[in-house]
Amino acid sequence: MTFTETTWNEAKELAGRYPHSRSALLPMLHLVQSVEGLVSSDGIALCADVLDLATAEVAAVATFYTMYKRHNTGKHHVGVCTNTMCGLLGGDAIWNAISSDLNTGHDETSEDGKITLERIECQAACTHAPVVTLDWEFFDDATVDGVRKALSDLREGKEVKSTRGPVIKGLQASERLLAGFDDDEFDAPAIDEKMLAGLHRAREVGQTLPSSEV
Amino acid sequence: MTIDNTPVELVTLTIDDIEVQVPKGTLIIRAAEQLGVQVPRFCDHPLLDPVAACRACLVEIEGQAKPQPSCAMTVAEGMKVRTQVSSVMADEAQKGVMEFLLINHPLDCPVCDKGGECPLQNQAMTNGRGESRFDGEKREFEKPINVSDRERCVSCARCTRFADQVAGDPMIALLERGSQQQVGISDDQPFDSYFSGNTIQICPVGALTSAKYRFRSRPFDLVSVPTTCEHCASGCSLRTDIRRGNVMRRLAWDDPQVNEEWNCDKGRFAFPYVQEGRLNQPLVRGEDGLLHPASWTEAIDVAAKGLAAASGATAVLAGGRHTVEDAYAISKFARAVLGTDDVDFRSRPHSTEETQFLSSVVAGSGLGVTYADLEKAAHVVLVAFEPEDESPMIQLRLRKAVRRGRTKVTAITSHVTSGNKKLNATVIATAAGHEVSALSELALDANTIILVGERAASVTGLLTAATKKAKESGAKLAWVPRRAGDRGAVDAGLLPGLLPNGNSLTDSSAREKAADIWNVENNTLPFAAGRDFGAIVHAAVNGELKALLITSVDVEDTQHSASTLQAIENTPFVVSLEIRPSSITELANVVLPVAVVTEKSGTFIDWEGRPRNFGQAIREHNKLTDGRVLAMIADAMDVLLGQQDVAQLRAELAQFAAPTNRVDAPSHGADVPNGLTLSTWNQLIDDGALQEGEPFLAATSRNVIAGLNSKTAAAHSIAEGDLIEISTSLGSITVEAIFVDGAENTVWLPTNSGESKVRTNLGAAHGNIVTIKRGGGQ
Repeated sequence: MTFTETTWNEAKELAGRYPHSRSALLPMLHLVQSVEGLVSSDGIALCADVLDLATAEVAAVATFYTMYKRHNTGKHHVGVCTNTMCGLLGGDAIWNAISSDLNTGHDETSEDGKITLERIECQAACTHAPVVTLDWEFFDDATVDGVRKALSDLREGKEVKSTRGPVIKGLQASERLLAGFDDDEFDAPAIDEKMLAGLHRAREVGQTLPSSEV
Repeated sequence: MTIDNTPVELVTLTIDDIEVQVPKGTLIIRAAEQLGVQVPRFCDHPLLDPVAACRACLVEIEGQAKPQPSCAMTVAEGMKVRTQVSSVMADEAQKGVMEFLLINHPLDCPVCDKGGECPLQNQAMTNGRGESRFDGEKREFEKPINVSDRERCVSCARCTRFADQVAGDPMIALLERGSQQQVGISDDQPFDSYFSGNTIQICPVGALTSAKYRFRSRPFDLVSVPTTCEHCASGCSLRTDIRRGNVMRRLAWDDPQVNEEWNCDKGRFAFPYVQEGRLNQPLVRGEDGLLHPASWTEAIDVAAKGLAAASGATAVLAGGRHTVEDAYAISKFARAVLGTDDVDFRSRPHSTEETQFLSSVVAGSGLGVTYADLEKAAHVVLVAFEPEDESPMIQLRLRKAVRRGRTKVTAITSHVTSGNKKLNATVIATAAGHEVSALSELALDANTIILVGERAASVTGLLTAATKKAKESGAKLAWVPRRAGDRGAVDAGLLPGLLPNGNSLTDSSAREKAADIWNVENNTLPFAAGRDFGAIVHAAVNGELKALLITSVDVEDTQHSASTLQAIENTPFVVSLEIRPSSITELANVVLPVAVVTEKSGTFIDWEGRPRNFGQAIREHNKLTDGRVLAMIADAMDVLLGQQDVAQLRAELAQFAAPTNRVDAPSHGADVPNGLTLSTWNQLIDDGALQEGEPFLAATSRNVIAGLNSKTAAAHSIAEGDLIEISTSLGSITVEAIFVDGAENTVWLPTNSGESKVRTNLGAAHGNIVTIKRGGGQ
């Protein structure tokens, strides 16, 4: 597809944010994905053009990171963490349930085109395991029923909120956020009591970090 | 040559308990080589940055818990290194990596081009396990890319690093990193690099193969001969691989002083001309007006009689492809046998200013500016010279210098080109024909090198200005011609008024010496300087010449092809020495087939002034050199020149001492064109005659476009992508207009590519006035 002048200008704006324009490649790939729902050859060409790179150099990056999709995606992206901690605490059960509900495997899109399902790697939120992401917003302490309800609401077009606050607006909206264009909706404070439990316990028993000097 | 006497800081370490001293900064793998220990390696390449991608070179270093990659780690004082020779840990690590690399590598060595010369095959035997323990499925890929067998790849990234670092063409990259990692291109940007062939040569496993050579031969069936590239004046050392008298492939050969380990795709792939469509027998025009095959005896006799009868009105058009020995033989034949000084090798546009420049500055000057000098220079100025197209090894050497951060490049040219972008060059956008003032305004010093290209001859005053600028600033000056034989032709005296080794014909003592060496009477040699190529053509068109001797000239190179053909038609007797039929042989009275570069020995003098000797690669074909053929004609004209074999010619040329009285340096004022001018040079891969018969190479040539500044375009109501017509009084060319970042009032065209045949259709040279308009043709 042909990108609009707005997208070109936004891409150039991103390039201007860094001392070396090449650093803008990762956000720029999110930007083209926010427009098309995937990183197409045209999207790669746009990044290469703005950053004066060869298209192969951009393709090398786009094919390395799994968050960049080289195929069409659904309206929403659902990530289920199945790494050790989340998997044991219910992630595997959630994956099995959702995957069978949607009749959709890893990195595939449901027939109605609403949801792309993906097994994801650790999101650094093990405190709230098992973790599911909806358009990369956290759905903490997830349960099979909770995720089923959220997905059914999303498919019916009802409002669904992340457990940390923001409304789930679709993958393309989140991609725009990842590209560095803020939607002015702030996440809830990232630190809660559950996250600090370990610190409190360490203080109770008088544990400290070893000195950094060897 | 200067020797660098700067003391080198040495580091002492032990490798396998043997003490060794190496310069600080040396990689462990190289230090081990000094001891004769070969640590296995794939990604390591001395001319590429270390990357430690393949992990084949692991060694044990005392104090380090894990084995370390020796290709990426530099030596340290007191370091204790153990390689596979003395360390079980290193040996097991290397064998483990080798086993890992072989897990996905197919065992298709019997059908692989690399089999028999494959670093993976060899090192799997020396540093791997004899039997694989892997019994799973190997990774497979579809084969959409016809020269890449991705399953063979061990991800060493030599090819991608070469493309990025050395060539500056990062159109290939490692895609899908992870278990499906593969080298690939982006769908819309093919690997159209002038240097792509080098990736095939440095691939250590046979994952990249040549479309042309693929499945054609086995390394052990080939006879390899060291040769020198005949395509440009870069002077690359090549290895020519021959099977039963046929060239199967050509590779870059390692010559650190010249081409390092690289060459360009033209040098590597453009060789079908040596065996296809050759002239194999002399031809003589009969009374029926047609050319008929003839015996050598008959053809030589007819040629000798015709030339003798034309005595006093003969001229020689020599071309720029000769070895210095053949060029010398032609130079000598013109003066000593034909008694004419009407001799010139410059089929392409030239000037009397250039004749003077070449005679005074270049001829017989020996080794001047070198590749090593380019690498050390603080500043290199490119004047009317496009290294990527015209001398690709200069492009690579300059890129190497620029990447090291010591050298800056300034280009005086019509627009920013892909080549000078890769050199990070400061481009002084200058309309063609206006280069003199741009050069004069530059502040240069003694750490500068000025490289002036072939098309400078078409800009009045430019060679004068370059000579003057170098003298005033102390900058070094080098002339970079486009053809392999150009510099040798100058040294051999293939210019009017110029005897071999820079001696002037009008210097009576030099002329006496020449007569002495040639064993002829002094008064048989011409006294006055003769006509240059253009003047010879002009005289011939007017019917002033009775005979022409033409050797390896392509009319497509000459200022106006139609005039050149007219000149030949208007000359009663024409002898042509050629390798293949051409529009000139069709008009000649006698056609004598001569040897191509693989069939003879000889010397090319590269742009540095460095002699590049080579031996005869193919002995099966019984072809004669130009020198031998001219000796036979001379013999038939009762002038005994001897055998004129390569050794004799070389020895004779060496007898010409350096001149005591040099020709004066040129002093021409600038003559600035008033109007829109043509900027033009030959692209590396174009429609040149020696590139015929190689479709894979031709497919990588660049699009044929006219490049112009957007303001100039707007002034002529031209939008980007429009077809535009570029015309002179002699004709026109219609091609697509593309906007370039360049000077106003100038339009660029490739000289000899596709629709853009500047010499044939425009009869124009760089800097000439042209007119442009939108549309054209229909």
